[in-house]
Amino acid sequence: MRDAESFDDFYRSSRKRMLRYGYAVVGDHTEAQDLVQEAFARAWRHWRKLSDHPAPEAWVRLVVARLAADRWRRLRGWRAAIARAGPPDVVRPPGEDTVLLVGALRQLPAAQRQALALHYLFDMSVEDIARETSVPTGTVKSWLSRGRSRLAALLPDVSTEEMEATGVA
Amino acid sequence: MSRELGSFYRSLAEDADEQVLTPPDALRRRADRRARARGTVTALAAAVLVVGTAAGSQLVLAANERTHVVTPGSTPSVNTTSPPTVDTTPSPAATTSPSPVGPSGPATTPSTGKSTTRSGAPDTPTSISDRAFFTQPAGTVAAPPAFVPEEALPKLCGARYPSDESLVQRRTRKLVYRNLDTPEGQVPDGSYLHSVTIYRPGKAAAWLADLRRAVQNCPEQERVEGVVSRQRLLDSGDFGDDSVLFEMSEPARDVNGDPTGGNDVRLIRAIRIGDVVTVLWEQGWEGTSSERSQVDDYSRRAVTAIRRWLG
Repeated sequence: MRDAESFDDFYRSSRKRMLRYGYAVVGDHTEAQDLVQEAFARAWRHWRKLSDHPAPEAWVRLVVARLAADRWRRLRGWRAAIARAGPPDVVRPPGEDTVLLVGALRQLPAAQRQALALHYLFDMSVEDIARETSVPTGTVKSWLSRGRSRLAALLPDVSTEEMEATGVA
Repeated sequence: MSRELGSFYRSLAEDADEQVLTPPDALRRRADRRARARGTVTALAAAVLVVGTAAGSQLVLAANERTHVVTPGSTPSVNTTSPPTVDTTPSPAATTSPSPVGPSGPATTPSTGKSTTRSGAPDTPTSISDRAFFTQPAGTVAAPPAFVPEEALPKLCGARYPSDESLVQRRTRKLVYRNLDTPEGQVPDGSYLHSVTIYRPGKAAAWLADLRRAVQNCPEQERVEGVVSRQRLLDSGDFGDDSVLFEMSEPARDVNGDPTGGNDVRLIRAIRIGDVVTVLWEQGWEGTSSERSQVDDYSRRAVTAIRRWLG
């Protein structure tokens, strides 16, 4: 029997972080909402086993990343369902920095977006990101370094000192 | 004034926090409803299969002039277990660390997940381990292979592959090679995008048929502005259980973009081994054309590695 209460607690405590992550990886509000909810729906389906998982949030994050990478093919049906449910609630427009960042992120490969989001939104180290994405640490350093350099070129007045300080420039 | 990248992400986080997600109970209800709907479809498909098998048995028995009759009228026992559908959802049971393999994400952890096909065929794993990829022959590695979030298949007039709906998992890597007779220090002779894909039982053949059709329906396409590429199927030879080989050919150009009079020819081969398909897309290096013998060699190695992986 799946424990709805523990799932609800997990959902409430992690959905905000997951939505930030989805937004940073996908670059679209509505899209991020769709796929984060889809990822949690899958988590609920597997909750009997997932509740014993050492890091269920990382599991959901992984699903979000995969859905983001393949969203056009896999989420057609889900988007259609959302469309049938009517337009989303009105939200205030995003801030200027968000608009700039999202615009710049769209010019980065998915792997770099994912690595940057894990670093900036979850404070994950190079080793942690490597473990989560199952690639060597050198690859993660390269993703972060290239992603940051590209963002620095695309965003106004971004400091490069921060990159050097974390040792992945 | 100089700013930190982190401040942009903080702004994004604040904006994301404004969004509202479905309340947990509503999300659970929706997920359960979808799971039930999927279970019903599976049950119906199984029932059709059982009834069809019974009817088929009757026909065979009648043809053999047997006297006893199988009655298909009794309610079939239906197994509602879903077929192995992994898609983008990692298996929570198969992993103790949150790093299973994604369709476009590389992994260094060998797969432990296995699925059993209904036909009793050998098990096909549900995730792709590094062992599924062949090792380049010694002395031909021009750069370390790297997994990439790409698909090892060129665009073919915007063709779509309906059988990709049955895709369980795909991993792609980039290979850079040097021929054995190329001196050390010279530029590589070519590169590959090389993928391994698992399909649901029985669906890999459909994907190969989709690909064959896509090539046939796309004899010509404007690959980039002003550059027309021509595609045609070639005799693939004997690789795996079935294979498709095609070439893409376009006028060769020098560094200034002026035609040199020759053609750049790319070879792409897709090979099916059971429910697994591997694609080798030779992409050349600075205008080199694919060499059939080289592509054949890597194709054979790819098949051997997959057979060994599948056991």
